[in-house]
Amino acid sequence: MKVYDQTSSLFWLLVSISVFVESIRLGIGTLQNPGRGFLTFGASGILGILSLILFLRASLRKEKIKAAHFFAGPLWKRVLLVLIVLVVYSRFMPVLGYLISTFLLMIVLFWILERGKLVFVFVSSILATIVTYFVFSKWLNCQFPDGLFGF
Amino acid sequence: MGFFDNILYGFQVTFQPLNILFCAIGVLVGTLVGVLPGIGPAGAMALLLPATFKFSPTSTIILLAGIYYGVQYGGSTTSILVNIPGEASSVITCIDGYQMARQGRAGPALGIAAWGSFIAGTIANIGLMLVAVPLARAALSFGPPEYFALMCTGLVIVTYLAQGSILKAIMMALVGIILGSIGLDIITGLPRFTFGINELTDGVGIIPLVMGLFGISEIFVNLEESLEREIFKTRIKNLWPSLKDWAQAKWAIVRGSIIGFLLGILPGGGAVISTFVAYAVEKKVAKHPERFGKGAIEGVASPESANNAAAGGSLIPLLSLGIPPNPIMAIFFSALIIHGIQPGPLLIKQHPDLFWGLVASLYLGNALLLILNLPLIGMWVKVLKIPYKLLFPLILLFCLIGAYSLNNVIFDLYVMIFFGVVGWIMRKFGYEGAPLILAYVLGPMLENSLRQSLLISQGSFLIFVSRPISGIALGFASLLLLSNLFPYFKKRRKEYEGFKE
Repeated sequence: MKVYDQTSSLFWLLVSISVFVESIRLGIGTLQNPGRGFLTFGASGILGILSLILFLRASLRKEKIKAAHFFAGPLWKRVLLVLIVLVVYSRFMPVLGYLISTFLLMIVLFWILERGKLVFVFVSSILATIVTYFVFSKWLNCQFPDGLFGF
Repeated sequence: MGFFDNILYGFQVTFQPLNILFCAIGVLVGTLVGVLPGIGPAGAMALLLPATFKFSPTSTIILLAGIYYGVQYGGSTTSILVNIPGEASSVITCIDGYQMARQGRAGPALGIAAWGSFIAGTIANIGLMLVAVPLARAALSFGPPEYFALMCTGLVIVTYLAQGSILKAIMMALVGIILGSIGLDIITGLPRFTFGINELTDGVGIIPLVMGLFGISEIFVNLEESLEREIFKTRIKNLWPSLKDWAQAKWAIVRGSIIGFLLGILPGGGAVISTFVAYAVEKKVAKHPERFGKGAIEGVASPESANNAAAGGSLIPLLSLGIPPNPIMAIFFSALIIHGIQPGPLLIKQHPDLFWGLVASLYLGNALLLILNLPLIGMWVKVLKIPYKLLFPLILLFCLIGAYSLNNVIFDLYVMIFFGVVGWIMRKFGYEGAPLILAYVLGPMLENSLRQSLLISQGSFLIFVSRPISGIALGFASLLLLSNLFPYFKKRRKEYEGFKE
């Protein structure tokens, strides 16, 4: 955990400095009349101090067991793949419309874990897309994008 | 209207067909969520919230409450049969529940969990009716300093009860406050931290935030691991506990209910912590504590009662003071705001249908859970057997729909994915999401009350200590924080962490 704590504390320190500077720019105001950067000024200040404490504590700590590598698990690539798929889906849903984009998304998601069973992947994807479309769009009136093809 | 008139009125509201339906859907979805891994109560509520927009606030709250206490019921099933808690509030049930199942006593374990939850839910409901109204009346005299102090105390308790490092929990609460300040400033109406992105003018949406931190990150964690789990094969019989079981469990249920209810009311408390305390107390008062961990029925009855009682108790600060005491109540809070209702001391007076309808629905929901759960236990066991590879794409799709349909903007999907990654990394680095979410919701209120207090006192912080309620609350919060510096409390906390482990 030592490296994790050191890395994360430095990250939060960076965040706190950025918020601190922005709070000053926004205007802290006075104690009699606090400005819009008042609370975040205080919060980021304390966050910065605590980040430093965490960093120092982690640096001074002696650890017998080495922390596992961040991508230690054999299956982390799945996470990366799903993440990419989600971003692509968000980007193309307004263009392709809910039905097409969701069907493609479901194909990929089911395929990730059931690579050999193409029929299962195909049928599950169609079912998931159509059922959710009717439940959410037709029954619950959620407004999904129609896309270029109008559906 | 008198007390009993109000209760009758509540039942009139609850027994409208739509509300009965919502209550039934809520408890069923809640039980399902409790049984299944990968989506917690916060995620499930966030998911269903956009679907409630065309219904009344009362129906919405009845649905959400059904999910909340349905989860407490459902979580026990996986704890007892699989030794994997469906929810954090059922972790402690694994210890004795699974041992009972291994000894061929899964039926009585599930039965006492359901009956304990029912009795505790009823006790908590009575407590809710008796405490919420007078507290709301008293809260009318609260000013900004009192609210500021109570919210600070809530945040301190949440960080103090964090499962890992307190330091990290406080940091997360501060990050939550900063996140909550994104958008328009409450007093000046000018934007801040929006980085020129129009969609951020209204702030970061709570639904994508919760879905990301709790839903998506959980999926990522599960995806990294092998997705198979083993269900303990046993015949589930004798769901009705024997007289001996009742004799052993009756006081455990009563004690668990009282502990759960009181800890539920406490800002920062909630179902999870109440189960640990209830179990510890039960072990302490037991004549034969050595039975615990080896299938003691009290070890199931007590925490299962506590988590349901806490679910009822935690509604009190939200409905009486307008302060959500835990992240789940923060979703309730947001749901009320979305439906145009301001939670606070005037809520009960201005929206009696909502309050008394909710109270009556809790009775109905508890009864429904008992009627539905025990005969349907076989079905829940079958649900447990659904492979995760089938569930994960669907959970992911529901999260995407839930995040999108709140405002019908794609930006919310990006926000959810972003916080999904953040939540996943946070878990790996030992940071918790609960303090962040609670601080995010309380942040704007906290800021408002702080700025108003300083305006009233003309810049003097003494206003927070010169008033009795705020002084006591802040004193308690300070003591709690300082207690970490003393060796005795440090040792106790280490024991608590070890116990949780």
